[in-house]
Amino acid sequence: MIKGKWYKSGSAAHIRAVLYLDGEQYRLEPEGNIPLPGKIKDIHVSDRLANVERKLTFHDGSVFATQDNDTVDHYLNLSLKANSILHHLESRLSWAAIALIVTIAFSISFFRWGVPWISKQIAHALPQKTNVLIAANTLEFLDKYIFEETTLEPEEMEVIREHFSSNLVPLDDENKSIEFKLHFRDWSDGDVGVPNALALPSGDIVLTDEFIRLCETQDEMDSVLLHEMGHVIHRHSLEMVIEATFVTVAIMLITGDNNGIADMGIGLGSLLVSTHYSRNHETEADHYAFKQMLKAGIDPKAFSTILTRITKSIEELESVEEEEVDPQNSEEGGIWDYVSTHPSTEQRVKQAEQYSECFKQGLFECEVN
Amino acid sequence: MKTLRFEGSGFEYFKIWIVNILLTIVTLGLYYPWAKVRNRRYFCANSMLEDRNFEYHATGKQLFIGYLIAMAIFIAFVVVQNISPIGSLVVVGLFVLALPWIIWRSLKFNMRMTSFSNVRFGFEGNLGGAYINYLILPILCFLALYAGPIGLAIFIPMVAGSLGGLTSIVTVIGVLGSLLLALFLFAFLKKRNTSYAINGYRYGQGMFSTNVETKAFLWITLKSIGFTILAIIGLVILIAVLASISGLAGKLLEIQGSLQDPIALQTALGGGILVMIGLLYVGLIILSMLIFAYFFTRQRTYIYENSTLDGQIKFASTLKAGQFAWVIISNFLLIIVTLGLATPWVKVRLARLFLGDTHVDTSVGFDTYVTQKQKEQSSLGEQIGDAFDVDVGVGF
Repeated sequence: MIKGKWYKSGSAAHIRAVLYLDGEQYRLEPEGNIPLPGKIKDIHVSDRLANVERKLTFHDGSVFATQDNDTVDHYLNLSLKANSILHHLESRLSWAAIALIVTIAFSISFFRWGVPWISKQIAHALPQKTNVLIAANTLEFLDKYIFEETTLEPEEMEVIREHFSSNLVPLDDENKSIEFKLHFRDWSDGDVGVPNALALPSGDIVLTDEFIRLCETQDEMDSVLLHEMGHVIHRHSLEMVIEATFVTVAIMLITGDNNGIADMGIGLGSLLVSTHYSRNHETEADHYAFKQMLKAGIDPKAFSTILTRITKSIEELESVEEEEVDPQNSEEGGIWDYVSTHPSTEQRVKQAEQYSECFKQGLFECEVN
Repeated sequence: MKTLRFEGSGFEYFKIWIVNILLTIVTLGLYYPWAKVRNRRYFCANSMLEDRNFEYHATGKQLFIGYLIAMAIFIAFVVVQNISPIGSLVVVGLFVLALPWIIWRSLKFNMRMTSFSNVRFGFEGNLGGAYINYLILPILCFLALYAGPIGLAIFIPMVAGSLGGLTSIVTVIGVLGSLLLALFLFAFLKKRNTSYAINGYRYGQGMFSTNVETKAFLWITLKSIGFTILAIIGLVILIAVLASISGLAGKLLEIQGSLQDPIALQTALGGGILVMIGLLYVGLIILSMLIFAYFFTRQRTYIYENSTLDGQIKFASTLKAGQFAWVIISNFLLIIVTLGLATPWVKVRLARLFLGDTHVDTSVGFDTYVTQKQKEQSSLGEQIGDAFDVDVGVGF
């Protein structure tokens, strides 16, 4: 016997009613009305959700509503298997605790390892054309708004280009489909030149005049060029696009129908996640450069020398925060480490020195963690 | 007048919420429509007026196709935004054009899927109205606010010669005029949006109606702006006092003096300036919430007072600005401190607050209302709106 309310089909008026369940039959007795009998299998029962009122719809469209969820479950359980499992999960403290732990563990590993791994797989499964496509117009855009024409002599550029294409490009024999090309530009902030090198996914590498000026040896310039080639070969720009997509979609799904209040926190969270990915890319490009340097017989120390010099040069002039070879605060462990797109210069220098040790021992392979 | 009440509890909802997230993760997002239905249903079914409750009738299966299409569009949108600046402008433009349609479809779908005491709601507003209310009027408002002053800035210097000494007076009048126009348009927009939504709502055969006026919205807006100005002055004074007490002022002068000298600058910066920027930031967030609470509650009270169902069932809101501000500010802090885990409690708290301050005159009763036949709606618009976080409705 289940007590509840009975609504005629589509009507807001209700009267008290009692539902009797017996075997395969039911009998509904609305107060002051004639009893309505029928088969239990013709009743449509709404899903159990916590202890909200249950609605049983009969084939004439009338609805019996009751708070007595347990009795309904007891008599009508057979047809409701999937839902009763769901309710079981949702109502037990132990399941909530497990769900909480699994969710947190999964979220952390998903963002930490899952997203970079999947992004890498997708980025490398796509044809090189994709890279050319996403780089389209980028150089024109930078030329229009940021760069000026270079002040270097054409002969000087020719020497650098010639060295690059005959000494550095052939080092990598796995990625023949990428067309590397050097561009020279002047980039000034006020009247101060900005030392920078940046790579577009298409294989175009831009070197600023100030960067060329700061390079004292060919090895130093080569080390930075190899680092930039590392970005291109590892398809970091494409990975960034895919990673950003994953992060945005995942956050949208997890937070679901949110009110604006939480959006601010989410923004901060995705910023932290994406800078973490960006630092991983820098480290990967560094490792690529070091390995190629060992192959080419260049001391990896050169990379740390030029990095330190650029860092110092920028510190002396002013603090400019921009892409690629941009040096960060050399202080380690500061709060800015979390929002920085590059690993700290100190860390990178340390790695260069470890590789340099290998170089001095005449090794061509080097295991650095 | 009878008061609505919310019968759910934070802890009970937490268990549902976390299982929803877990299942969404485990199924790689495929469970999301079902999770959404369970969330919505929990809040609807626990909302009570006397012994009658609300109910949300959409099923996960019904939402699923719309969800898949919406996700495909959303992913394409994010990818284009990340790849090309021009492409992202184009997709944002397309999105703005589609927005009224999304809102219209969402209203239709969600009202249709919600019932109270076994009778379904509905929405009968037309698509043209949605375009006027959610595209054309907002654009006009935007133009008055930005294009007006910009136009003046170009126009004034051209005629400055012939105006002579009057130039500055003309400028002031022009700027004030365009600001007032923007304010008026904003109030008008609020009135039109509210009327469009409420006059379109149905309950069974019953029709909701509202007769709100631009004047009242203008007055609420002006008062909110007045409070904003006062509060900003207050905040600046407060920080200045704090700064001078803690000797920050000296630090500031030190920074100014050391601008040419990077090393001295770094030492000076190392001091309290970060703390001060932090204070200012937090102060501004809390301030904006206070102003929002004031604006929102005044508007809510006004709209409820002037709306009826069939001219006989009346409504009232007693939500107070201070109370609402306290709940949203503390909710905000709770979310941050618990890294989002407090979300279920936050939502339950808000629901309880809103319903507990909503009153309905039930003397006429609901017994004569009967569900009307309506065309079934697809959930696509609603799902796209959900993916893009479109806030639909007038915010009751």
